[in-house]
Amino acid sequence: MWAILSGIEGNLTAFQAVLRDIQTLNIEQLYILGDLVGINPDSEKVVQRIRYPHADELSPQVCRGWWEEQCIILHGLVATGEPTELEVQYGAETAKKLWDSVSSETVKWLAALEFGFVELDCLLIHGSTVSVSEELTPKTSPWQILDRLQRMEVNHLFCGRSGEVFDYELQAGSIATTVTTLDSQHLPQTMTTAQKRLIGVGSVGRKPPKATYTLYNPYTNGVEFRTVYY
Amino acid sequence: MKIAVMSCIHGNLAALEAVLKDIEEHSCEQIYCLGDLVGYGPFPNEVVNTIRQLKIPTVQGCWDEDIVEGLNACECSYPSLLAEKRGILAHEWTNNQITPENRQYLSQLPETLKIGNICFVHGSPQSNHEYLLAEMDAFTALERVLASEADVLFCGHTHIPYVRTLDSGQLEVKVSQPDSENNQFLSFTTPLKRIINVGSVGEPRHGRPNATYVIYDTFTEEFELREVAYNYQETCAAIIDVGLPPIFAWRLAKGLEYAEKAEDPTHICER
Repeated sequence: MWAILSGIEGNLTAFQAVLRDIQTLNIEQLYILGDLVGINPDSEKVVQRIRYPHADELSPQVCRGWWEEQCIILHGLVATGEPTELEVQYGAETAKKLWDSVSSETVKWLAALEFGFVELDCLLIHGSTVSVSEELTPKTSPWQILDRLQRMEVNHLFCGRSGEVFDYELQAGSIATTVTTLDSQHLPQTMTTAQKRLIGVGSVGRKPPKATYTLYNPYTNGVEFRTVYY
Repeated sequence: MKIAVMSCIHGNLAALEAVLKDIEEHSCEQIYCLGDLVGYGPFPNEVVNTIRQLKIPTVQGCWDEDIVEGLNACECSYPSLLAEKRGILAHEWTNNQITPENRQYLSQLPETLKIGNICFVHGSPQSNHEYLLAEMDAFTALERVLASEADVLFCGHTHIPYVRTLDSGQLEVKVSQPDSENNQFLSFTTPLKRIINVGSVGEPRHGRPNATYVIYDTFTEEFELREVAYNYQETCAAIIDVGLPPIFAWRLAKGLEYAEKAEDPTHICER
């Protein structure tokens, strides 16, 4: 069984509550799909807690989230010059708070995080295969969702950007297509797509006092959403 | 309205002149160009001047972008290290030749143009480096048209012309959310969509040296893939005369991509 978390956003209390819940379950792998940090003075403590788990805890696999991306941009560790997205969404004052919340040593560690993980036929990622900022939800165009799954040739995509919990199953699909070239016209073909799923894993720290995260059984494809109040 | 759409002229003035003559003979009311005015060929300024003089609405191609912003595409833009090395030579030569006025013109070209239910792009709606190949997965192709919010998506970049119809798209979806007691079952359909790749005026790769472009009737939705013969040897000789890599002349004469294919043509360069 895998436990999949996202959106801690520096909320240490929420994260520790979820860790305690995980301890009661038979979990083999722990994934954290980004947004470890946020505008929260405990961001640094959350990162330390993740980097140095207790002896009886799993060592998590962690990928980069939107807030990590903003930290990395703020500290000039990527080519993008200005923290435009952060300022547009939250204002310049928030950029200053984020700067104060996370040390430059921690930002260097965040910068080395993976963009996402492919395990079996699953992609685990913060946003989408296009961008860490892209928010996939049940309201997203189903064609776009299918495209984001196909880009990595996976059947399951776990994401955390929206903070929502959902199980979105593309059950069947078809399309008729014909190609005409200078030399020939190919006969019409009907293409179909295999079943694919997009799973929103929830948010640990964004909506106090309620933390949500996801359990996934890779042997049965079973998904269970967990809610922990703290 | 009968429109002509062309792309990828790549500094080949003789090919452009032949295509413009063919367009005139077919009484098209409007011409659109999908970029890559420069690169590979020996007459970048002459081609840009012609497009400017004729006031042809044009979108920016990847070569046009690189001449403005500096060569910033990653190696994914080329199918091999050898192709990349030659591409850099062509970039440097063009960069030295282009006039400030023409560089300024290339810099202000839009990435997309939208006229009614038609969208014009160089590569794809998401990147002017992305190749929309005829053999691309049909669902992926449909997503690109839907992303453009058009019914007909005109593109170039691959240098091989084709028209692809995408019809009766259908998806069945089940959504489960803990806050909602019942599962939602949703059905999605799409009307007829088309991708029209107009090939290349100045550096074709469909197996013959002829220039290609497309005539499209916006009322009847009829299309015609046009192939125009011209004196390509003239351009081949000029490529060698100005000191560009001779392989570009060989490739133009064959109408073929000589190198191996890129491993992932849909890869979008993040740089």
